[in-house]
Amino acid sequence: MKLFIREHLPLMIFTLVQLLAVLAVFWFDGYDHPLTALYALFLGLFVFAGYLGLRYATHRGFYARLSRPVASLAESVHKHEPAPLPAALSDLMENQYRQYQNMLQHWERKNEQYMTFLNQWIHQMKTPLSVIEMITQDGGDERMGSISEETDRLRRGLDMALYAARLDTFEQDFSVDNADLKQLVNEAVHEYKRYFIRSHVYPEVLIEEGISVRTDAKWMRFILGQLLNNAIKYSAGSGKKVTISASWEHRDVILEIRDRGVGIPKEDLPRVFRPFYTGANGRRFKESTGMGLYIVKEVIVKLNHRIELESAEGEGTLVRIRFG
Amino acid sequence: MDKGAASMYKILIVEDDPKIADLLKAHIEKYGDTAIVIHEFDRVLEQFQLHSPHVVLLDINLPSFDGYYWCRQIRQVSTCPIIFISARDGKMDQVMALENGADDFITKPFYYEIVMAKIHSQLRRVYGDYAAKNEERTVEQGGLILYPERMELHFGERNVPLSKKETILMETLMERSPRVASREDILEKLWDDAFVDDNTLSVNITRVRKRLAELGLGEALETVRGLGYRLNINAKEPKK
Repeated sequence: MKLFIREHLPLMIFTLVQLLAVLAVFWFDGYDHPLTALYALFLGLFVFAGYLGLRYATHRGFYARLSRPVASLAESVHKHEPAPLPAALSDLMENQYRQYQNMLQHWERKNEQYMTFLNQWIHQMKTPLSVIEMITQDGGDERMGSISEETDRLRRGLDMALYAARLDTFEQDFSVDNADLKQLVNEAVHEYKRYFIRSHVYPEVLIEEGISVRTDAKWMRFILGQLLNNAIKYSAGSGKKVTISASWEHRDVILEIRDRGVGIPKEDLPRVFRPFYTGANGRRFKESTGMGLYIVKEVIVKLNHRIELESAEGEGTLVRIRFG
Repeated sequence: MDKGAASMYKILIVEDDPKIADLLKAHIEKYGDTAIVIHEFDRVLEQFQLHSPHVVLLDINLPSFDGYYWCRQIRQVSTCPIIFISARDGKMDQVMALENGADDFITKPFYYEIVMAKIHSQLRRVYGDYAAKNEERTVEQGGLILYPERMELHFGERNVPLSKKETILMETLMERSPRVASREDILEKLWDDAFVDDNTLSVNITRVRKRLAELGLGEALETVRGLGYRLNINAKEPKK
């Protein structure tokens, strides 16, 4: 309605000026029947109002559509309009919508193909990795140990890529169930066993038996893995402990992972959950993609848990997960 | 199904990566069982019937037909335990495997210990054969005999009891001997029991040395600086 009035305001003024001009010409010519003149004026206005009314009735949808923000692309396709202008707009929008759709589908297909490739590739890489791991498990000399350390890194890298790729299809790939927290943590620690040992960092699991949390075990194991990976990486060589403990707060279970490593500089803290953000530690420790904590946060949000991170440089980092 | 010699089981390996298959075979045979590697992936069922194994290790991604297909085929003729080994770790893959008749699922990359443990658990479950496998496991090295289940160490006439950690430690040292058992290897083994640190390792090494001394093998366990520990008993003879 507002847009309609604004659109027609010049026409209204123009019509009024025109009517008054006609009246003025007659008036100065010596015509002196004000009532008839007034009648003519009102008649003119009445016809004009009729025109506006009709116009509004046929274009109401059109104006409403123009003044409403577009909520979804699908709105571009509209039911048939009677008047030529709205019909033309509809055609144009629909055409545009179709073209965008085609383009989008094209890219979606490409992305899907790429994801499929990535998935298959990661799985294929696991076979040579298995072979190398099997060979290194057999032989005990120092070089084998060093190779198995590198294979571990490769495996962790592949896992991260796999989970990052799965993040997009998370909704089809998770199921929330009761999981035993202690068991979950122990499994995650065991997966990082070699990394712990080689880094001279030791896990300390302080979790009572029988605490169960509602979560997706697979994703949670991945999250714990990422957090342990960070905890070990940033306290490697210190001989210190990484403490994983659980407690209750009201009715929520809180899981804490505390390392006594280098900690995170204060200015980096607000940004640690951002993608590709590596900060000062990332520059110092090289092996950092800036994706670990980002994916962790994304998954935590999707799982309806909460995560907090506290850290002081030189003292270590504490990550707290709250299972709601 | 008949078994050959006592505690000899036949394990069929259906894995299209020849290296993985051979490494698995070598490891299984180290434990005294027989492993057969299949090379003709379009005739898995025939091979299965020919060898009638006690356990089948089956990969999912195979040329021609996939592992699920062969699992169903085998299920029509046998209830033999089937363990899938695959790089696919999705929930759906595992569900599919179990629904097609598999008994267990191992994801690549894997540890030998896990494969062996799962094979043995299937053997025990299906053939109920504790007796054959119940022959007590021993580790021997140069006259020294370790009984891991009893947690005892024998040398000649003498024997000493060990703690759980000492047993694990001793087993690792004996398996590696005369090579060096690295700090990492030993800790990895110990961690299956509890997460111990370097100090605990040193304490346990000292204790093991004491036990060895009680057996008259005072100098047998050397520290190799920067590498680990070496058990060297070959030079010595059991004292009567």
